Amino acid sequence: MITLYRPGTSILHRAPAGVKILVLAILALAISLLVRDLSSLALAAAVTVGAYLLAGLGVTGLAAQVVAIRWIIVTMLGTQLVFLSARLAALNTGRVVIVIVLVSLLSLTTLTADLLDATDRACQPLRRIGVDPAQVALLLAMTVTTIPVIAGFASTIRDAQRARGVPLRLQFLVVPLLIMSLRHADDLADAVAARASE
Amino acid sequence: MSGARIEFDDVSVAFGERRALHGVSVALDQRRIGIIGSNGSGKSTFARMLNGLVAPSSGQVRVLGLDPAHQAKQLRRRVGFVFSNPDAQIIMPTVAEDVAFSLRGRELSLAEKRDRTAAALERFGLTEHADAPAHSLSGGQKQLLALCAVLFGDPDLVVADEPTALLDLANTRRIRRHLLDELSQQLVVATHDMRIAAQCDIVLRFENGGLHDQGEPAAVIHRYERDHA
Ligand SMILES: Nc1ncnc2c1ncn2[C@@H]1O[C@H](COP(=O)(O)OP(=O)(O)OP(=O)(O)O)[C@@H](O)[C@H]1O
Ligand SMILES: [Mg+2]
Repeated sequence: MITLYRPGTSILHRAPAGVKILVLAILALAISLLVRDLSSLALAAAVTVGAYLLAGLGVTGLAAQVVAIRWIIVTMLGTQLVFLSARLAALNTGRVVIVIVLVSLLSLTTLTADLLDATDRACQPLRRIGVDPAQVALLLAMTVTTIPVIAGFASTIRDAQRARGVPLRLQFLVVPLLIMSLRHADDLADAVAARASE
Repeated sequence: MSGARIEFDDVSVAFGERRALHGVSVALDQRRIGIIGSNGSGKSTFARMLNGLVAPSSGQVRVLGLDPAHQAKQLRRRVGFVFSNPDAQIIMPTVAEDVAFSLRGRELSLAEKRDRTAAALERFGLTEHADAPAHSLSGGQKQLLALCAVLFGDPDLVVADEPTALLDLANTRRIRRHLLDELSQQLVVATHDMRIAAQCDIVLRFENGGLHDQGEPAAVIHRYERDHA
């Protein structure tokens, strides 16, 4: 389970949410666009480790996040190994894992309320082109809420299969995960319709 | 139409070829309304029409004087809906935030929102989990959270679709107490738990998409159990 906010006093905890989002966005963009070989991937990984140390979460805190998304990693790596070379599959998966782990760092060191406020303020200028900042903030909050749910689905599926002696095979994981996620999305949409009545 | 709080006039619902409800006419003013019936009989479909999640294919529905098909937004502000799967109703990351979500868009100071949230969590025994990730709660605690969040919006009508489906005895009892004993609002509850149905003021029984029986709870439940004996 990806845990959320961990109270703390590190510089990352005290930094304004808006600044953190901005830095994260730049980092994520840079990683997506610039990481083209294993050495730059290693550099991005080093930056990530450094950020976790800076937040006082340590290497164990980082490891916990990676373990929490292990089935997502397995799924991604597996699907890509079918079509791509091992090197490319590792690069792609590595990039995504680093970005997810960095996003987790944001929720680990920032209260969601602050996150939403910052998003709300940052999106105000978008009002003119018809974007509702409150909707963007809601979407972000729901994403934060949903990550542990989907990760939980993957663990549940894997546990149930292990209990029945099913070997770890990608297609056995992807299909039920997709079905559960889509059904969850459906149910969640109903709940939002029922509760967010403005 | 008669002007009851909940009115169905010859309502049918079809999903493609499949008829989920047909020819349902009923007027309900009772405070606690129980819905029973076999799997697939149309209970959820009926419940979901009450806040416009499902629209009638033909016929007329009025809830609290509103037409769910065209006034869903106004209606949903006044109707709280508790689903059976507690996982899917949690919208915000932490327990307190999810409850506070029900006050979204209300003109209240931040301090007042915080105080009210704390009081609501207290009433449902969730205070110690206030800042915990909502998904770290147990199934029963999640369902309590869902109910807490829905009641927190102070709806005029509460609709619950199998609110105790995933709960153990203790939590079933708690939900039952909150819904049936402590609630002052009108309640519609679809359930397979006959103890919940027995505590209602009227019970409707659906079979094969039709309203098969209705009336005094003990009598309706007795006939239901007799038919399935
Ligand atoms: N979205 C949908 N699409 C297609 N068919 C549907 C849909 N929702 C319900 N149905 C069908 O309508 C009928 C009534 O379903 P409904 O969910 O209302 O039953 P229910 O009484 O709530 O059953 P249960 O006790 O199993 O919850 C069923 O045959 C079901 O398959
Ligand atoms: Mg149902």
